[in-house]
Amino acid sequence: MAEQPSLLKSIIKKGLAGVVVGVILVVLAKALEFPPVFQTMFFIYAMLGAAVYVLLDAPAVKPVGGAKALIALIVFYAVISGVYIGGASLLPQYDPQDEKGKIEKLLKPKRAATEQGKAEELLARTQALAEKAEALMKRLQAAGVGGTGEAPGAGGANAATGPGAATGDMVAMGKQQWDLQECYNCHKLEGKGGKKRGPELDNIGSLMTPEQLRQKVLEPQSWMAEGFEKEYEKKKMPSKYRELMEDKEVDALVAFLSTLKNPSVNTPKPIQKK
Amino acid sequence: MKTWQRSLLVTLGLVAAFGTAAYAQTPSAPVAQFPYTGNRTAVWIVAQLHILFAAFILGAPIFVVISEWLGHRKQDPRYDRLAKEVTKVTVILYSMTALTGGLFIFVLLATYPQFTTWLINHFFLIFAVIYPLLFIAETIVLYLYFYTWDSWKGEQKARHIALGVLLNLIGTVTLFVIDGPTSFMNTPARAAEGLSLVEYIQTASLWDKIYNYSWMPLNLHRLVGNVTFGGFIAGLIAAYMYMGAATDEERSYYDWMGFVGNLIGVGALLFLPFMGYLLAFELCDYDASICPYMMADQLSMFFEMQGAMVGLIFLASNYYIWLSMKRIRGLEHIRMSLATLVLMVSIPPVFMLVWTLFPIPDLMALVVPAAYIAAFLLLARFTPWTVSSQTMVKVAFLMVIIGNAIWMTPHAFVATQALAPEDGSLSLPHGELALGSITLSFGDLALMPAKNAAAFTLVFVTVVNYILYNRAIRRGTIVWGKIDFVSQFVLIFLAFSAIWTMGLMGSVRSLVRKYFHTYNLFYDFTSESFTPTLSYAAWWITAITLGFYIVVSFAILVTLRATEAKAHAAERKPVPAGAK
Repeated sequence: MAEQPSLLKSIIKKGLAGVVVGVILVVLAKALEFPPVFQTMFFIYAMLGAAVYVLLDAPAVKPVGGAKALIALIVFYAVISGVYIGGASLLPQYDPQDEKGKIEKLLKPKRAATEQGKAEELLARTQALAEKAEALMKRLQAAGVGGTGEAPGAGGANAATGPGAATGDMVAMGKQQWDLQECYNCHKLEGKGGKKRGPELDNIGSLMTPEQLRQKVLEPQSWMAEGFEKEYEKKKMPSKYRELMEDKEVDALVAFLSTLKNPSVNTPKPIQKK
Repeated sequence: MKTWQRSLLVTLGLVAAFGTAAYAQTPSAPVAQFPYTGNRTAVWIVAQLHILFAAFILGAPIFVVISEWLGHRKQDPRYDRLAKEVTKVTVILYSMTALTGGLFIFVLLATYPQFTTWLINHFFLIFAVIYPLLFIAETIVLYLYFYTWDSWKGEQKARHIALGVLLNLIGTVTLFVIDGPTSFMNTPARAAEGLSLVEYIQTASLWDKIYNYSWMPLNLHRLVGNVTFGGFIAGLIAAYMYMGAATDEERSYYDWMGFVGNLIGVGALLFLPFMGYLLAFELCDYDASICPYMMADQLSMFFEMQGAMVGLIFLASNYYIWLSMKRIRGLEHIRMSLATLVLMVSIPPVFMLVWTLFPIPDLMALVVPAAYIAAFLLLARFTPWTVSSQTMVKVAFLMVIIGNAIWMTPHAFVATQALAPEDGSLSLPHGELALGSITLSFGDLALMPAKNAAAFTLVFVTVVNYILYNRAIRRGTIVWGKIDFVSQFVLIFLAFSAIWTMGLMGSVRSLVRKYFHTYNLFYDFTSESFTPTLSYAAWWITAITLGFYIVVSFAILVTLRATEAKAHAAERKPVPAGAK
């Protein structure tokens, strides 16, 4: 019990020191234009440091046993579980909905190509036909009793043939492929994306023909961007697209890339290797 | 648990392994649907539990046999007792490994029958022959090792140690074999010239499939990880037993055991960041698009959490060393060179600069840091200025916090960099600093050279603390059994955090397959093939860790506390020689 005041004193002293250091770090971070979230992190680190120094100088705890030890253990587990779940939940969370739509678009044609996909498609078609037949029956029944009012669902299922990717807008489809295949992770376009792994592509349409672009996508080792010798040697561009992309998806991507003709951006010169 | 009960569990596991390989040959089975968790999470729970048990039964025997050998060599019975006690727990958990392994394959077949059949067919020889045979061999050797402990002593001890080495060899081969299909799912192969990946896999040999990009890095990572894990679990056993110890002698022994467990755990932990780096490097080398997915996009905050966990583990392990040092009489006389302190403080900026100039694996990335450290060590040898151990430890803790802060600095505090606001309100500022031919920016704090420098700082600090500790025990007097009681909670915390981090990184390794069961080869068409939130993952990782802890705690109580109680009962109530 005699050691309690010294622990309290230590907490106050080191806590105050932590606050002072934290404030200095925040002021410094602000001056260096770190956003508030980083300033907060710096303050948290300062307080963590203070907590660590309190622990280092804390008086020894006397052993406990039996039920007391068991309760202490359960509380300890509950606290660390809570801290880990809470800590992980406080960090920014990726919304799976953002990814689900994208994955659905990517997998739809692949699923359709499988036996199961074909069976599912047949089932869906059968169901649509059954619905159509039912609607027709209702209309006939309505006509049979001499009614002139519109049958429910007039227009039937055929009325819903809206526009979409299938309208033939290859460039829009190609832009979609750019996003779906996550080309932006390595290539910068319009100043966005890319982490120096691949060249900026804003002017690639002026430097390569559609055939050459197609060759590069399907056989990454066929062309090398000037200045990217190391990346070329390490085969940084994956050769998986010939496996993962349908022909029409490659055509669309190539059509999109061919439209990229912005001479103000210094897209590196492509060098044919094969 | 009796021998027949353990044998029954192991048999069930083997039946499951054989049975599923046979079941995989039958055509399409209906898919089961797990309520509440969904199929993917159900597989996740069972797989993670199995891996945790397996990690312990593969990791623990490595230091068990080392401990037994040390006991034999030093003629110190404490090492032998430690080895035997950990083996007792291992035997119980071995049964749990078999049980969860069988359950894992059943759940996998019930929920993903097409894929499981496909995978088993690709590795049929492994799943149907090699793995079960290794499992049987390991079961026999483990039981033989355990049950010959008391009979093979004295001159026969060397034979017993050799049996332990054999057990480890079989365990390591088992790990390497099962890592084949596991790593294949991440990095099956690169398409060969003129062949599509699908065509190549159909013609590839079993060895081609096993010897894939991430196989050896995964082997090394798991091997080192298992030793770390085994060490921390030994620490956990010691903490539980210390808390329940009735005599000073027992407390003294379990205090010592906790220290040895932590020493082994931390010793292996020092290599773990580099093994993890090697695995990540190979994954990125296999397919560059995996890298941003892990580090910059959907999984970036998983790595943020990993940084926090690694920092906490290093803080806790160093705190344990500090608590161990505090009870050494004569610690105040221990001093260390000022040059070492300066070296420690200078590591983050200097190494970050060096690794920016010479990126790993450039040879200079090794030579320059080695020369830098050697120069300081020479300086330390020939300069008279020293600092006290107290000062050294306090600066060391400061460096752990700084190292961890660097490790945890992201480009932007966003779930994915693609969503980072363009106004930079969540990103690192653009400020730059020109240093001769190179320019450093704040953004570099989020790049690999900075992370590597941070990891090296954590490792260096821990090594320095252990050097201090060694000096203290050589020159001072250690009083076993008198350690601060808080240290037992530190041991428990270390084991819990190590398991939690294993769960986190295991989920990352599985999630990098994205919407594939086997990357680029076998699509996962189910509605669950998306990246879960970190929060969701954290809930399940915690639940799995607690589940594992409950079983391990039970195993410790059943094997060690019960045995101890029996021993004490026998001591207290001597039975007259003639009584029956």
